[in-house]
Amino acid sequence: MSSSPTDVLVDVTMPQMGVSVAEGTVVGWRVEPGDRIEAEATIAEISTDKIDTEVPSPTSGVVAEILVPIGETVEVGTVLARIATGGNGVRQSPAADKPQPLDGGDAGPAATETPSPTSPQRPAATNGDRRYSPVVQRIAAEHGIDLSQVPGTGRGGRVRKQDVLAFVEAAPAEEPPLHTESPYRPEPVAPAAAVAPAPVVDGGLSRMRRQIGQHMKRSLDTAATCTTWIEVDMARVQSARTRLGVTALAFVSRACIDAIREHPAMNAWLEGDRYTRHADVNLGIAVSLGDDGLIVPVIPRAHELSVEGLAARIKDIAGRARSRQLTPDDVQGGTFTITNPGQYGSIMATPIINQPQVAILDFEAVIKRAVVVTDADGNDSIAIRPMTILGLSWDHRALDGAVAARFLASVKRNLESVS
Amino acid sequence: MPTLTYLQAISSALRDELRADDRVLLMGEDIGVFGGAFKVTDGFVDEFGTDRVMDTPLAESGIIGTAIGAAVVGMRPVCEMQFSDFISCGFDQLVNVAGKMHYRQGLAVPLVVRLPSGGGFSGGPFHSQNPEAWFMHSPGIKVVAPSTAEDAKGLLHAAIHDPNPVCYMEHKHLYRRVKGEVPSGVFETPFTARVAQPGSDLVVIAYGAMVPVALEAVSDGLDGASVEVLDLRSLVPLDEEAILDSVERCSKVVIVDEANATCAAGAQVAALIAEKGFESLDGPVVRVATPDVPIPFSPPLEQAVLPGVDRVREACRELLAY
Repeated sequence: MSSSPTDVLVDVTMPQMGVSVAEGTVVGWRVEPGDRIEAEATIAEISTDKIDTEVPSPTSGVVAEILVPIGETVEVGTVLARIATGGNGVRQSPAADKPQPLDGGDAGPAATETPSPTSPQRPAATNGDRRYSPVVQRIAAEHGIDLSQVPGTGRGGRVRKQDVLAFVEAAPAEEPPLHTESPYRPEPVAPAAAVAPAPVVDGGLSRMRRQIGQHMKRSLDTAATCTTWIEVDMARVQSARTRLGVTALAFVSRACIDAIREHPAMNAWLEGDRYTRHADVNLGIAVSLGDDGLIVPVIPRAHELSVEGLAARIKDIAGRARSRQLTPDDVQGGTFTITNPGQYGSIMATPIINQPQVAILDFEAVIKRAVVVTDADGNDSIAIRPMTILGLSWDHRALDGAVAARFLASVKRNLESVS
Repeated sequence: MPTLTYLQAISSALRDELRADDRVLLMGEDIGVFGGAFKVTDGFVDEFGTDRVMDTPLAESGIIGTAIGAAVVGMRPVCEMQFSDFISCGFDQLVNVAGKMHYRQGLAVPLVVRLPSGGGFSGGPFHSQNPEAWFMHSPGIKVVAPSTAEDAKGLLHAAIHDPNPVCYMEHKHLYRRVKGEVPSGVFETPFTARVAQPGSDLVVIAYGAMVPVALEAVSDGLDGASVEVLDLRSLVPLDEEAILDSVERCSKVVIVDEANATCAAGAQVAALIAEKGFESLDGPVVRVATPDVPIPFSPPLEQAVLPGVDRVREACRELLAY
């Protein structure tokens, strides 16, 4: 390695991502030895049991060595890499030569293309510390310009809007297109059935998808999964949620917690032959991460929370899940799970139990339906009511259908008597 | 078109309104027999009588409170504060009663308060302030500030016709220094911004007395740069579209306030640009304003704190070179 004797080496260690996490796996390196890295820039990606996260560089400097290869699992505190902060030993690589984008993200072509060594316009005064204003970055992105190629005439060689516009003006003259493709496109024809579909995405599954798949398949292989449904009139919940300004999910959560109090068999773990029933309700809420997958953050001691409190906590964990700010502690210790994919109008599902729990409740869309209602005198009439179908998947190894049905009846009663 | 001073344009608007509309009446300290501290209403009492050009006691709360009552029952009162600084004595009536009347009671308050504002004449700390931001911060009140004779007349007509309370900021320094051709008769200037000078490399955003300062600052060409000057004219409502349009074209912005810097109108403009114009910026948003000090009586000290041509020009040069 080329680090000089004047360098100070700073360790990059496997971070403690939560009190319950003892080890993590390196799933990717963003740098190679010899690359320059800025403090707080991502140096590596790591994975713990359920959370994927990034390791920020503790300092600015040059990567001296990488000690843990991709795929290796090490204990918290293990040194993953060392960074030389003396500023010497910079390998003359394209990566070290490039400007660091302000946001640490993809700076477009600048981040992927090696500057041509023969480029005549390379300004001598510029270096890797250039910063670009919003309008300059936007113009560069629109025209696919490598800003490191643009001579700056502003203070200290800064690239001004005028500079990048002049560069845009000048650029086409260097490389006139040999052929301009006609914008005409024939009407698309339906592909013949025998032709293999053209892949839009081709490659391996993401790490999150693989993990979800393993968890789901393991649950189906392990549990004796049955699903029981019940219809619930949500009229009272609808009016109460409007009044309180909270989601129906918060009411369903509270109704489940109260029903668990009557039927504690729902709040249990079954691990092999080991059966544990819990006093606390640690409520898992499935949160979709769009195309990336889903995650089930947990509200610990949810039985202590009111409907408004549950609503606030659901909003908090869902927001942190979507912004990838959950810690491993946020996804551990769940005793019962609710999944709520109803915003698209679907009405029923057979959810897969979140192991080692013994039940999961599926809450889908609330839909107005014509139903038969009976008044206090026993007269029947047809009324329009907001109805939903709650689905409970439960593990026949741990309990029987009658318990599941009674539990659902309690949830129904709780929701229909909301005041 | 006749050429009028800024002050004559204000007088002209008031006279035209009094002639055209029986509901219009003027109230203020010494506006009748004496003709007003700055002679805006000189001779009015002879033409319109003391019922429509009313001399009031030295009590701003009483002036505005009485005018609110008149406005609620259908009159179109125009109050003069002798100096805008004195509005603090009528603050509660204006902010809490007039500004919130429609929200609370559903009643329109078509009231105009004329506020002779600004410094530059050794008026000292009680006679030189620019209090427009106080009213920008209070919902229910519109705030306009003309910089030309034509706008002085057109904005005052529009203010009198507006069903809401309007603070009309008339800058004392412009009264007799600014002249221009002004259409005769009643016409309305919309509560929108105006490009006082078009340009493409930098925009100076200003209003009131700072518009002529900005125009003079950029008049020598600033080394060939193309500099725009945007005259806001209306502070509430603020013409966001015009501001963002200038920012998008010019990408560099200098905002000039004669008011004390903190929470001034220009601070609101800067916040707007940061929020909605970020992607167009090619440099920091630069503000030139009076520091957060009382306006000094001493002429050299006053000239030192008020934003002048040199300070605006220097800010433009610095930002153009960025």
